[in-house]
Amino acid sequence: MPTITIDPITRIEGHARVTIQLDEQGEVQGARFHVTQVRGFEKFCEGRPFTEMPALMARICGICPTSHLLASSKACDDIMAVRIPETGQKLRRIMNLAQITQSHALSFFYLSSPDFLLGMDADPEERNIMGVVRKFPQMARDGIKLRQFGQRVLETLGGKRVHPGWIVPGGVSHPLQAEQRDQILAEIPEAIRITHSALQWFKGQIENFRVEIRSFANFPSLFLAMANSSNELAAYSGWLRFVDANLNIVADHITGTNYQNYIGEDCNDDSYLKSTYFKPLGPTEGMYRVGPLARLNMCKSMGTPQANEELAEFRELERHSVLSSFYYHYARLIETLFSLERMRSLLNDSEILGKNVRAHATPNSFEGVGVMEAPRGTLIHHYRIDQNGLIESANMVIATGHNNLAINHGVLQVARQFVKGKILEQGMLNRVEAVVRAFDPCLSCSTHAVGQMPLEIQLIASDGEVLDQLRR
Amino acid sequence: MARVLLVGYGNTLRGDDALGPMAVERLRPQLPDTDCVTCHQLSPELAQRLTEYDLAVFVDAAADGEPGSASVQRLSSETAKRASLTHHVQPATLMMMARTLYDRSPDAFLVTGAGADFANREGLSQNGRKAMDEICRLVLRLILERT
Repeated sequence: MPTITIDPITRIEGHARVTIQLDEQGEVQGARFHVTQVRGFEKFCEGRPFTEMPALMARICGICPTSHLLASSKACDDIMAVRIPETGQKLRRIMNLAQITQSHALSFFYLSSPDFLLGMDADPEERNIMGVVRKFPQMARDGIKLRQFGQRVLETLGGKRVHPGWIVPGGVSHPLQAEQRDQILAEIPEAIRITHSALQWFKGQIENFRVEIRSFANFPSLFLAMANSSNELAAYSGWLRFVDANLNIVADHITGTNYQNYIGEDCNDDSYLKSTYFKPLGPTEGMYRVGPLARLNMCKSMGTPQANEELAEFRELERHSVLSSFYYHYARLIETLFSLERMRSLLNDSEILGKNVRAHATPNSFEGVGVMEAPRGTLIHHYRIDQNGLIESANMVIATGHNNLAINHGVLQVARQFVKGKILEQGMLNRVEAVVRAFDPCLSCSTHAVGQMPLEIQLIASDGEVLDQLRR
Repeated sequence: MARVLLVGYGNTLRGDDALGPMAVERLRPQLPDTDCVTCHQLSPELAQRLTEYDLAVFVDAAADGEPGSASVQRLSSETAKRASLTHHVQPATLMMMARTLYDRSPDAFLVTGAGADFANREGLSQNGRKAMDEICRLVLRLILERT
């Protein structure tokens, strides 16, 4: 069978490739998204003291270490059966919001904006962050400033930008100082201005991307996200809820103790990334999406005034749920606005400088599950320990795993739309990549790269003849 | 007095790739008036920071060259090549970003030390240690000559 291979996919977090299978007539028959690196964290943490897990798990990734730190600490909280002091909870929430801000800024401004600003068909030599710097310097300055803000908050709270500490089982390691709070608060108005500016710009561009909106993983699916009793966007605490494409609740009040009744995990021969699915429907029908699009579809309110106004406008895109994955980008900007507003209200909370920020305990349970919303979607850490507090088994269900079936389905949809005949075009190649990029998959690429990674796509006939080839 | 930024980057868990951060940590006490930064990899946010300095010295490991040797290269914003990967931003790219976005970039140099072993481990190889001595000598000379 003729196969097109895109290897690696660029401007995503990590290394992956896509293969597209053509039939004898040259029509797209199938498509697969493969993650080609193995990390092995679930295995090599076995035997380690559970208290080491937050620091170990943060090393899974250089982009979202804070999310793993939080989910891991929550799993350890569960093992210790502790109640986190109120101030400790709020400080953890601020850390999570800063993580969402910096990660969404990276995704939108650095990774995806070249497609929006320079066009899907632009020369790949130009369609990158440097192209944006040259042609849209204000947008580039805004992106740098917004990400810088998020990282500075992480550094202020956690001691460093990448792999910060501070969040520990039981709460956070030390209280917030008044000058740290004031420093963060002083920078929020500018960050909000930048986010509004990006939102206005993006909304003005939507008409230019009608074809992509129609074909970028635009299909009915289930959605999974955290929920709470107020039906506001839940980023840190709550329970899990599945809704269908019409926003009907199909499963609710799923917690750490019963998530495995609802979430199944499949291993694939051609990828190191597991595929998860809604267990009651099975792996074929149980595809769902997580992340900003799922969260905005599910919540009734963002919980902050400016983000609420944006949510109302976002809702006007569709009658029920917003189904096109192209709108992940839009949802990311609204979530950034929410994060900044919520961060400000938490920092202005009268208890935020409180000294009681950590609870101490020894293990009170042999099992613990931590669930929270990472920038890319729902993140679950599940640990079992032995009598000595050593890890017996660990299971991590990450956002990109939740989205894996939808990414595959999306790649197929976009390939069918754009891959035509025996001639490959850069614009086609980029659209196949861009649908993956819309999900902002994080494949844990914290290793310092040596050398330049090539991108190659080949169109191979059934007799093995190379019909066309593109290389970057 | 000239404001100097010294940036050492590399992965401290990949053998000689740690040359940059380790050299900067060794030099830090000898350069009290220099701002020292160590990081895994360079990111676009550093472009803005560069504009606050008169001189920037980047320190990195190299996989090519005679193991144990080190070399200096002057950087300019014009030497930047394509930069599609945010995970792998080059110093020259940062210089170009600083010049284009903020209309200012410092005098800048890249000091590279040729490593020999980039396996998954902490600590330098024998050639790596030799390269670090060379790096430190070159960086000190560069900074002391210009401040």
